[in-house]
Amino acid sequence: MSLGEPGGQPAANTLVPPAAAGGDGMLVRSRGVTKRFGGLVAVNNVDFDIPRGSIVSLIGPNGAGKTTFFNMITGFYTPTDGEIVFDGQPIVFKKRNRLRSLRPHEVAGLGIGRTFQNIRLFGTMTALDNVRLGANIHLKSHWWDAALRTPGMLREEAENREAAMDLLRLVNLEDRAHAWARSLPYGDQRRLEIARALATRPKLLLLDEPTAGMNASETRDMTSFIRKLRAELNLTVLLIEHDMRVVMGISDRVTVLDYGTVIAEGTPDEVRRNPKVIEAYLGRGAADT
Amino acid sequence: MTTMTVKDEDPYGHGVGGWLSHVGEVVFGIPDTYRRELKLHRRRTIALTVLVVLLVIYPILNKAFLAAFSRNVFPLPLPDDTVVTFMMIFGIMAIGLNIVAGFAGLLDLGYVAFYALGAYTAAFLASSHWDSISVVFLANVTPGFPGIHLPFWIIVPMALLVAATFGALLGAPTLRLRGDYLAIVTLGFGEIVPVVFRNLSDVTFNFSLGPITLAAQHLNLTGGSLGINPIDAPFLPFANITFDASSGYAPVYLGMFLLVIAILIARNLERSRIGRAWMAIREDELAAEMMGVNTVRTKLLAFALGASFAGVAGSLQASYLGATTSDFFTFSTSILVLIMVILGGIGNIWGVLLGAVALVYVDKTFLPYVGQELQQVAPGLPNPAQFNFLFFGLILVGMMRFRPEGFLPNRQRAAELAGAHTQAEIEAKVDEVVAVDAVAEVEAAIEADPSIALDNLGPPPGQAEASGDARAPETIDEEREL
Repeated sequence: MSLGEPGGQPAANTLVPPAAAGGDGMLVRSRGVTKRFGGLVAVNNVDFDIPRGSIVSLIGPNGAGKTTFFNMITGFYTPTDGEIVFDGQPIVFKKRNRLRSLRPHEVAGLGIGRTFQNIRLFGTMTALDNVRLGANIHLKSHWWDAALRTPGMLREEAENREAAMDLLRLVNLEDRAHAWARSLPYGDQRRLEIARALATRPKLLLLDEPTAGMNASETRDMTSFIRKLRAELNLTVLLIEHDMRVVMGISDRVTVLDYGTVIAEGTPDEVRRNPKVIEAYLGRGAADT
Repeated sequence: MTTMTVKDEDPYGHGVGGWLSHVGEVVFGIPDTYRRELKLHRRRTIALTVLVVLLVIYPILNKAFLAAFSRNVFPLPLPDDTVVTFMMIFGIMAIGLNIVAGFAGLLDLGYVAFYALGAYTAAFLASSHWDSISVVFLANVTPGFPGIHLPFWIIVPMALLVAATFGALLGAPTLRLRGDYLAIVTLGFGEIVPVVFRNLSDVTFNFSLGPITLAAQHLNLTGGSLGINPIDAPFLPFANITFDASSGYAPVYLGMFLLVIAILIARNLERSRIGRAWMAIREDELAAEMMGVNTVRTKLLAFALGASFAGVAGSLQASYLGATTSDFFTFSTSILVLIMVILGGIGNIWGVLLGAVALVYVDKTFLPYVGQELQQVAPGLPNPAQFNFLFFGLILVGMMRFRPEGFLPNRQRAAELAGAHTQAEIEAKVDEVVAVDAVAEVEAAIEADPSIALDNLGPPPGQAEASGDARAPETIDEEREL
């Protein structure tokens, strides 16, 4: 199965101008991203890069601005200032001197798939239809094809169905394909949401607290599943996560946000030892465990 | 995957030829499908068959036997041809509104506007309203007769286009609004359209822009409160059938024909990527947009397509009655169609159809009948037919209390469909139930698609690992509850 394009290694390629190629190996590149809600600065001047093929985590205490940042990448919020470039395509751009953002469905079309912190499946659609919906952007048939059931549309539907079944197989839900999404157990819903995001054929997969509410063994399964996804589908993964074991065990790079600013960035080990981080976040977390 | 096999032939074909052969296959496959259904759900299939046959031959039965029986032996509240035709007209409308309100979840309180647009399209294009010109084309009118006279078969697509265009025009600026606001805008539109038709009977204007001057003196655009009549009845050349109010059950079958097309199109749309996108928007608009659904365009499509059904219904109504006035298109008609959709089972095509048939029956046959009977027993009592909306209100309240999902809820269908989507699965299920030639079936299936066999032998190498990662859903769930 080939989903997305093969992610190149983050090789130092200084010959290609970064902006033109969309990559010195960076899939996402953001500079000076700021978001203000009235007087509150939720995200303040954040520079944040995601290398192709990596698993990057964004952590920070509650209210640090992680989800706000997520929402700016997906086009749900328009930043107050700054720039975000995904795969060489600007997500945030200036138009008539005002900062604009691509609409969420356009961002999805560029190749960013996401899951939600509190699962947002289409509850009364079947698991299969949830996944099939994810592939909607890649379907070409028009409404008149649908109304007349033209051969092209039927072929496309059959292919889409097969691809969706493959994805359900990947997340081990093929035997629940015709069950309503909301009738599935919690862990299945989490994985179904990932399958739905994968159906959009993303280059970047955004996971918003994928192990929230899971017990230890489920968390372990999810962690190895994310690793497997990266390996098999050449994905780049951005993770928001509270569970430090998950973050430290899975990430190539970790960025720590506190009060909307980046206070640390580096490998899990570097971040773990950073005194600022321990003070702002891990100190409290470590004291608990 | 390495198990990919060479497909010997593309099963779907290409272009118009492919489509026609596909349609042919489906049509010729009906006996097989029917037999399969008979095996799977014997009772239900037989009951439905009897019901459908009775409904289809009802007008003939009515003419041959029932009407006379009711007149001479015992008075029965039987719908006559006019009522049944209106059932078809409202059925088409309910199916259209169901696309907007049921599939996409958009509340449209001004649906009658599109009905009016369809009716006036028919009135403009098939009457003597524009008596200063004479355009007669394939119509059952002598050439040279004043007015524009186009055949019904051309008017229907025109009405469809006009209604869809106005649906899109109304939707484009308003569909970014959410929920209640959209309802208010559509309510306004539903009021504006009939008022415009009522008042454009005496138009005088003088409009000049550079060298172009447009002027009109007392131009009667819409016939005002008198409306436009007579409108040409639908006419089938060669067979020489006129479908008007005095031609018995012919218009019933015309309505049935259009209704069947409406059902097929609505059903096809529902089972496509567009239908899935509508449902996703109804469930969670934000999540749908994040998954790449262009929500504004998809909602606009629902609006325009839904409107086009009302346009067709309107043109049928105007042509059938031979007249149209703005009085037909009041707010209460919008509400009536909405009640049909809600009562029948919002989101389910058969449900809303049942709702339409039931309400038209209650409105046009049952209540007048009760009124008549009451008049004989107690002449002083008010006629219940004049209080139809009171009864609809009561029915609606009772329904919301005891069965809010409607007569035939959409959910049931979803549950019923679960597990049987493809031919192969249906066949598999048949084998399971009837256990006929199971081995032969499986062999045939494997011959058709060898990957089935490989899938059944065990998970391919890549998936073995996945099942190693797997969960035991129920146990984990129980664990959490502890």
